[in-house]
Amino acid sequence: MMALLLDGLIVLALVSLAVQAISGRSLFRGIIHFVVFGLTMALAWARIGAPDLAMAEAAIGAGLTGALMMVAYRRLVAQGDNHSPRAPAQKSRLAIPIAVGSGLLVGVIGLGALLADNPPGEAGLIVLETLPEYGLGNAITGVLLLFRGLDTLLEIAVLLTALLAARALAGTGDSSATARTQHPETPLVGALLAVVIPLTILVAVHLLRAGTHETGGAFQAGAVLAAAGVLLVLSGRVSRTDTAGPLVRLGILAGLSAFILIGLMPLLYGEALLTLPGMWSIYLIETAMMVSIAAALILLFADAGGLKRDRRG
Amino acid sequence: MTAEALSLIVFLPLLAACVIVAAPGLSALSVRLGLIPLPLLLLAPTLEVLDQGTYRMALAGHNSPLGIEWALDPLSLLMLWLNTGITILVSLHASYGFPPASEAGRRFWPLWLILFASMNALVLSADLFNLYVTLELVTLAAIGLITVEGKPLALRAGMRYLLLALLASLLYLLGVGLLYGQTGTLDLYLIAERIEISWLPVTALSLMIVGLLIKSAIFPLHAWLPAAHGNAPGPVSAILSAVVVKVSVYMIWRLWFWTAADWDLEAVALLLGLLGGAAILYGSLAALVQVRLKMIIAYSTVAQLGYLLLVFPLAGNLAFKAAVYQMLSHGLAKAAMFLAAANILHAIGTDRLRRLAGIDQRMPLDVFALALAGVSIMGLPPSGGFLAKWLFLEAAWEQQAWGWLVLVAFGGLLAAAYLFRVLAVVCLHPRRRLGQRSRRRSPTPASWAALLLAIGAILAGFFSAPVLDLITAGLPPGLGSR
Repeated sequence: MMALLLDGLIVLALVSLAVQAISGRSLFRGIIHFVVFGLTMALAWARIGAPDLAMAEAAIGAGLTGALMMVAYRRLVAQGDNHSPRAPAQKSRLAIPIAVGSGLLVGVIGLGALLADNPPGEAGLIVLETLPEYGLGNAITGVLLLFRGLDTLLEIAVLLTALLAARALAGTGDSSATARTQHPETPLVGALLAVVIPLTILVAVHLLRAGTHETGGAFQAGAVLAAAGVLLVLSGRVSRTDTAGPLVRLGILAGLSAFILIGLMPLLYGEALLTLPGMWSIYLIETAMMVSIAAALILLFADAGGLKRDRRG
Repeated sequence: MTAEALSLIVFLPLLAACVIVAAPGLSALSVRLGLIPLPLLLLAPTLEVLDQGTYRMALAGHNSPLGIEWALDPLSLLMLWLNTGITILVSLHASYGFPPASEAGRRFWPLWLILFASMNALVLSADLFNLYVTLELVTLAAIGLITVEGKPLALRAGMRYLLLALLASLLYLLGVGLLYGQTGTLDLYLIAERIEISWLPVTALSLMIVGLLIKSAIFPLHAWLPAAHGNAPGPVSAILSAVVVKVSVYMIWRLWFWTAADWDLEAVALLLGLLGGAAILYGSLAALVQVRLKMIIAYSTVAQLGYLLLVFPLAGNLAFKAAVYQMLSHGLAKAAMFLAAANILHAIGTDRLRRLAGIDQRMPLDVFALALAGVSIMGLPPSGGFLAKWLFLEAAWEQQAWGWLVLVAFGGLLAAAYLFRVLAVVCLHPRRRLGQRSRRRSPTPASWAALLLAIGAILAGFFSAPVLDLITAGLPPGLGSR
């Protein structure tokens, strides 16, 4: 009974937050609602027993996307003569038909899910049966790296492509408004960072290591690490540059190139493409992906080609 | 050999893209290394397909449904050759507009190589979710390339494309989820075996097809295409029109003729055919009233894509051959036209039609390429376009589908109308400015790239036998007999 009540509450909150996020007059309120929506969504994932998704949703869907939106919002404010940017006043005539159509779709999918009974020979069940052979405890890591590695490899390529596309646009707009806060040096900032940054890194590494056996993995770890980077950028400890130094370039590319090179290796000794040659390769690829995900997200946030340490004493 | 070759066909360009980002100093070398070996690498798979028919490869050694499989059949082999051939010739052109060692080149080439690799991965994949990931990569790289010069019109077009493409991806993904729920597998051939036909899989298929129709800019979901293709840099327009929109049509064919081969969907087939017909009429008429050369070519793409949907109502051996041949020859011809238009734009500084009077004397190579490619688009003999349209007419004749027959013939006339409108201004306009020197000349190899592609489109009319044999060998199950 309690559980049902909780679920109902979450669903209700999701719908109303979604409506608030897109129908509010003020863009700022919309962003805030979107972030809260993301957090509630994370709760929903956790409720249906998908903790990995819940963490990814909280870190990326709510956290970093929200941060990106706030940066974009600040740019708009900077351009718009101090008027707070507003969503367009009149609603599109298509709004209601689209809402009805989407509602119908959700209905159809829900019905489909209710009707579906687990078909025999389902891929997901085979994953669970095969997993112990590889000494992995986390089915998601198994799917991401062992069974459907190509998907993951291409996802990392998607992230790199997004970064490259964003960088190609840099310089077309006004990039003088940086992501930094205006007055970073309140005395507490340094003390806070000294505690938060090491802890964040610790959490990221833990998530990465835990990924082979329980909830966690490169995507969650990368997102958490990126959060540390965002803090450093916001507090002005790290500042943006237009071109990337060798270290940053390595960080961006580590995930994709490590995955490709290790994936091609089995061809040399006559095994199938992307067969991973042991646990070490899983750890190596996961670490490289974590670094790349974090680097790409930080650079996207800072709208920067590269980063450098800011030494201001 | 084939497994190694196919792996490199996807990963070599990706690695080259990584090297350019990591070490910009090596960009010229890595662009070459990422592209030039590709035709050689394609030889082994080609021999394999000619010999064995179909080649399947389980990635990481896991067969479907557990893992992802690549399936190389004659159709995907033809797509690989189309993508490779056109990308390499267009790259020749792009190496002048975006020199690899320059700042602009360092932005352009990684995205270009990723786009190339992802399209190769797409046509190889036999897995619905993997297809989704590759299609996302294709779209994202394409949008990056459209906006790579940062021109405001291109930015707006890219943004519109991005939003529509995201909607399309979500629709496709919903369909994939529904099919997985029904069958427990993502392999598009295995689904065909496992599925029990009911309203739910039909809904799933419809969602996926609508998403893919948006991505392939089929009327009335074409709204993003003319602006995006008309305002992108020249080589990007060429690859977008020639290959990028085709890969999503390829996916519709795969779903329709392989996964949903036994479903009884005549009404949907007719609807898709009508959309194709509307695309032919609307695209051609819109091309007739455009004032910029690149926009004419872009609307021509909207029209020519319509033919690819006629295969659904005319389903059969002949129509399928016609559609595949249309895909190949339109790819060559349209890439040639966009490259020629890019050269003209570069030399004159504008592509407004009324400013183009008399450029045939200043830029004979480019105008010749434009005219040759036009011959194929109009469907005049002897050209690849002619052969494709002839096969369509034959298919319609055989099935006594007179409506489609008239449509194909009329579409050719309309194409002739909008292309002769261009050629008339260029070659016959009374205000021909004789002897006027162009301010900037495009380098000759850039013009040759356009001309080679146009010649390819014409030659496709002469040397069609091996390609048609290959298409016949790869006919979808069930179509061969009809």
